[in-house]
Amino acid sequence: MALTLRGVMQSPVTPLKDDFSLDIPTYEKLVDFHVRTGATAISWPHHKGESLNLTMDERKRGAEATVKAVAGRVPVSIHVSSLAVEDSMALAQHAQKIGADAIIAITPYFWGPSKQAIYDYFVRLGNSIDLPMIAYNSPSYLEGVEIDAELIERLLIALPNLIAMKEASFNSEKFMEISRVALKIRPSFSIVAGVEFLAPSVPLGCVGSYSSAGAICPNLCTKLFDACINGRSAEARELQFKLARLWDLFRDQYPSSLKGGMVVMGRPVGPTRPPLPTATKERQAYIATQLEELGILSTEPHGW
Amino acid sequence: MSTLTPGLVHTTVTPFSADLKIDFATFEKLIAFHLRNGAEALAVQMHAGESVSLSDTEQKQVLDFVLKQVAGKVPVLAHVSDSGTAIAAARARYAEKAGAAAVIATATYYWTPPAAMVFEHIAQIGSAVKIPFYLLHAPDEMGGSHHMNTDMVMKLMDRLPNFAGVIDTSLDWQFMINIVSNAWRRNPKFQLAAGNEYMVSAGAVGATSMITSLSGVAPRHIHKLYDICRTEKYFDARSTQEDIVLLRRAVVQAGHGGLKGALRAMGRDCGQPRPPLDSLSPEGYATLKAALDKLTWLTNEPRGW
Repeated sequence: MALTLRGVMQSPVTPLKDDFSLDIPTYEKLVDFHVRTGATAISWPHHKGESLNLTMDERKRGAEATVKAVAGRVPVSIHVSSLAVEDSMALAQHAQKIGADAIIAITPYFWGPSKQAIYDYFVRLGNSIDLPMIAYNSPSYLEGVEIDAELIERLLIALPNLIAMKEASFNSEKFMEISRVALKIRPSFSIVAGVEFLAPSVPLGCVGSYSSAGAICPNLCTKLFDACINGRSAEARELQFKLARLWDLFRDQYPSSLKGGMVVMGRPVGPTRPPLPTATKERQAYIATQLEELGILSTEPHGW
Repeated sequence: MSTLTPGLVHTTVTPFSADLKIDFATFEKLIAFHLRNGAEALAVQMHAGESVSLSDTEQKQVLDFVLKQVAGKVPVLAHVSDSGTAIAAARARYAEKAGAAAVIATATYYWTPPAAMVFEHIAQIGSAVKIPFYLLHAPDEMGGSHHMNTDMVMKLMDRLPNFAGVIDTSLDWQFMINIVSNAWRRNPKFQLAAGNEYMVSAGAVGATSMITSLSGVAPRHIHKLYDICRTEKYFDARSTQEDIVLLRRAVVQAGHGGLKGALRAMGRDCGQPRPPLDSLSPEGYATLKAALDKLTWLTNEPRGW
């Protein structure tokens, strides 16, 4: 179970062909790009990877491609969350079978489950595998369904393989409560920011981020983490502001605009599956002006 | 316009006697306590001071009283929010005339007007005065309504030459970063203030002031937290921040009477809150006291007046 998460981790988008089918060769190039540009771990398919628009078969094929493309260079975690819990269980089994290093799972979708039901879900999922598990907390996207301090305490007591949390509340009080309680029970527990909100979270115990903008500006993401972890507060704030502007640019219909931005950066990954829109040429042109203004075009890698 | 930066702002409770009248004798001692214990500014009749439970006349009395007691030693910020735009604007004008250094206002109570009218409400309060105006963003206290956004803040910057900054109690990193990063591009002197004691994250993204109601309970630790954060040594501030979060948690868990209960436990009895806020029962006080006793660092804080 020894898996330590730290630094800028990448959760790749899912490249699609024009007919919306999976584009595995491009995906392999993308994973390689992330590892070469400093990703300390790869995790797929987060919502940014259009997880809920992929069939079970596609998710399994993508997971296999991820393990193969990473080839042991950094740890791989597979996001198993699905609308149906039984699908999540099957994806977890598959992740273990293909040699992934961990699984990651969010609180169940849609139903607004009780705290006990969320607890039962994670315990069942965590006990079903011999892999480390990462819990994913995103109360604002799931209408208040969340892992709070009390729940993480119970889960850590029940699950020796719960090693980390992707924490996406982006809220000081929630983050501190989780951090305070979790690290007391398991000092090695890793709390990872959901996107690059590192300046406000690293001083409180955050160890890294699942990047939103790493496919656009990996250098900037790494610089921010370095500034934060080394306590260079003024520099961190400036870099954080820049990444916040990028997050504003990309968060709308995520990851549609992100994929549009990747075209600008010479790393096209195809359309976004409905019901999410695909970034139009006009949107791409607007994104290009913003990337130019932020200095991204001249400071970040172009092409693969 | 004044270049006020409030810094470490203590916000006071409003002491009440047993008959729930304002207890000015105790209030005098309370203000003196804050001034002796690190307040760089005072914010009066904030929500922690039960502003909404004070009549308009009482709010004026409180402001006049505080200004007289403070006698210019530190700036006094007056919270003037109300449901009606004209009422709040008149209160702002009164505060300016009385000598307040700045006014603070949030969105409307009870009403949920369209965004353009919320903007107009705030803009009219701000434009009623020439002293600095701070917008209080407190979505949780406002029942989840009235989330401000960057667009509104930018428009207020266009409209109000005296718009000095935003006081945030939402603890929302996206909100704070968005506001301050956009506002600074237009006016680098625009201020973000933490509206409670979560100063580490707020400071890391640009907050320069902190408005704290727990300053009446633990002024030394609060001062320590603020001082470390102002030197931007946020890693060094973490343990103090965690201590204060535990204090805050104990106070919040005790309910509406928690803050005054904690003051009583420290030997500074300011009575109970006014209805409709619940008083702290004897059992509730015992539970709060037991929780505070576990915070061993509180032994280094001043007891009594």
